[in-house]
Amino acid sequence: MADPETFEEAQAELEQIVTRLEQGQASLDEALALWERGEKLYAFCRAKLDAAQGKVEELARRVEQARP
Amino acid sequence: MAKVEALPYDDRTVYSVAAFNRGVAQWLGRLPTVWVEGEVTELRRHERWASVFFTLKDPIDGSCLGVTMLRGQFDGLRLELADGERVHVYGRPHLFEQRGEFRLRALTIERFGVGAHLAALERLKARLAAEGLFAAERKRPLPLLPRRIGLVTGNDAAAKRDVLTTIQTRFPPANVLVAETYVQGPRAALEIVDALRALCEDEDVDVIVLTRGGGSFEDLLPFSDERVVRAVASCRVPVVSAVGHEQDTPLCDLAADVRASTPTAAGRLVVPELSVVVAGLDRARASLARTVRLALARDAQALAHTRDRLRAAPRLAVERESRRVEQARDRLRRAPALAVERKRAALESAAGKLRVLSPLKTLERGYAIVRTESQLVRSASDVAPGVRVEVALAEGGFGARVEDT
Repeated sequence: MADPETFEEAQAELEQIVTRLEQGQASLDEALALWERGEKLYAFCRAKLDAAQGKVEELARRVEQARP
Repeated sequence: MAKVEALPYDDRTVYSVAAFNRGVAQWLGRLPTVWVEGEVTELRRHERWASVFFTLKDPIDGSCLGVTMLRGQFDGLRLELADGERVHVYGRPHLFEQRGEFRLRALTIERFGVGAHLAALERLKARLAAEGLFAAERKRPLPLLPRRIGLVTGNDAAAKRDVLTTIQTRFPPANVLVAETYVQGPRAALEIVDALRALCEDEDVDVIVLTRGGGSFEDLLPFSDERVVRAVASCRVPVVSAVGHEQDTPLCDLAADVRASTPTAAGRLVVPELSVVVAGLDRARASLARTVRLALARDAQALAHTRDRLRAAPRLAVERESRRVEQARDRLRRAPALAVERKRAALESAAGKLRVLSPLKTLERGYAIVRTESQLVRSASDVAPGVRVEVALAEGGFGARVEDT
């Protein structure tokens, strides 16, 4: 399975996995694989949230800095 | 009116500048007096000058028209016009011959008032609505978690601060790119359009907040400018509009994907509460672990059950066979007794039948058997008076003689 690209993708997939498991139709091997995947997605999402504080930039300053 | 005369040079007709200007001026003078709408810019009024000058600018494409008006007339209108104000000018085209300058000579000027603005706005609104610019199906959902939020705002503190504070309080990891612009006056509309475009060039920006605090009707007009409304509608990413107060509805609100009543509300719309996101994630993870444990337990239970059945299988077979043997032995034991009983029953039955058939049973009911020495008496003719007969009863018998027949 590919690594998630965005927080939203990861979060949506995590929810899907949980729903799937809650329906209890997955085989044991499948359930374990889904669990592993779910934990990975969770870690990814948490890391995204815990990542550096957000920042506020001014467009004008950014444009100035971009000038040679 | 002076005649326009040309000088002949061989085969060429040539006009003097004065004559040419006079000719054009006369021709222009035949045009009717008309109303022209535009924004006042570069207004020049001086006590020493006989006329007041300003440039009338088309707000859509910036076309310019010089306007002149006698100072006395201008002052008499008491308009107190300022640059950027929208006006209707009633006048006629005029060429100032001396300088060759073309101007609109104004006879009167009317400020484009609130009523006229409202009517124009209503027309614009109807036209854009007919184009489907405000249609519900055009509205896009906001991203759950924007990578970067574009913010178009004036440099006035309040609205900008409200949006930023709300975003940073709710969701500290949020990234915001701020584009400050004029948010009122004649330059505002173009600057807002430019700001929207510039923010869209940042490919991480996936939602834009367009905000301005409350203001007068005229102050908010740039947010109903057709160029701004179209820029909002065609923006690459969803736009949240938070302009003015709750009761104001500039047209950009209608074109935006979401309308927020205040800058603070806009901030709340573009980012989720961090704690809620984290709680949701933790819940999902807990559910993940729980469901896997359940699945494991369910499978373990099924396995244990199968094992139990497997173990029980041989014992069950032995029990079944031994039960069958027991039953056979019981039947065997009971067989002789049953045979005797059956025979006794048959005998009883035969005896019963015999008893029913014997005459004794009849004698018991009070009948008697009468016989002579030689035969049973069945008829009176079998005997004659004086004959001795034997009478048999149920209990014993006696001899008798026939008296008559």
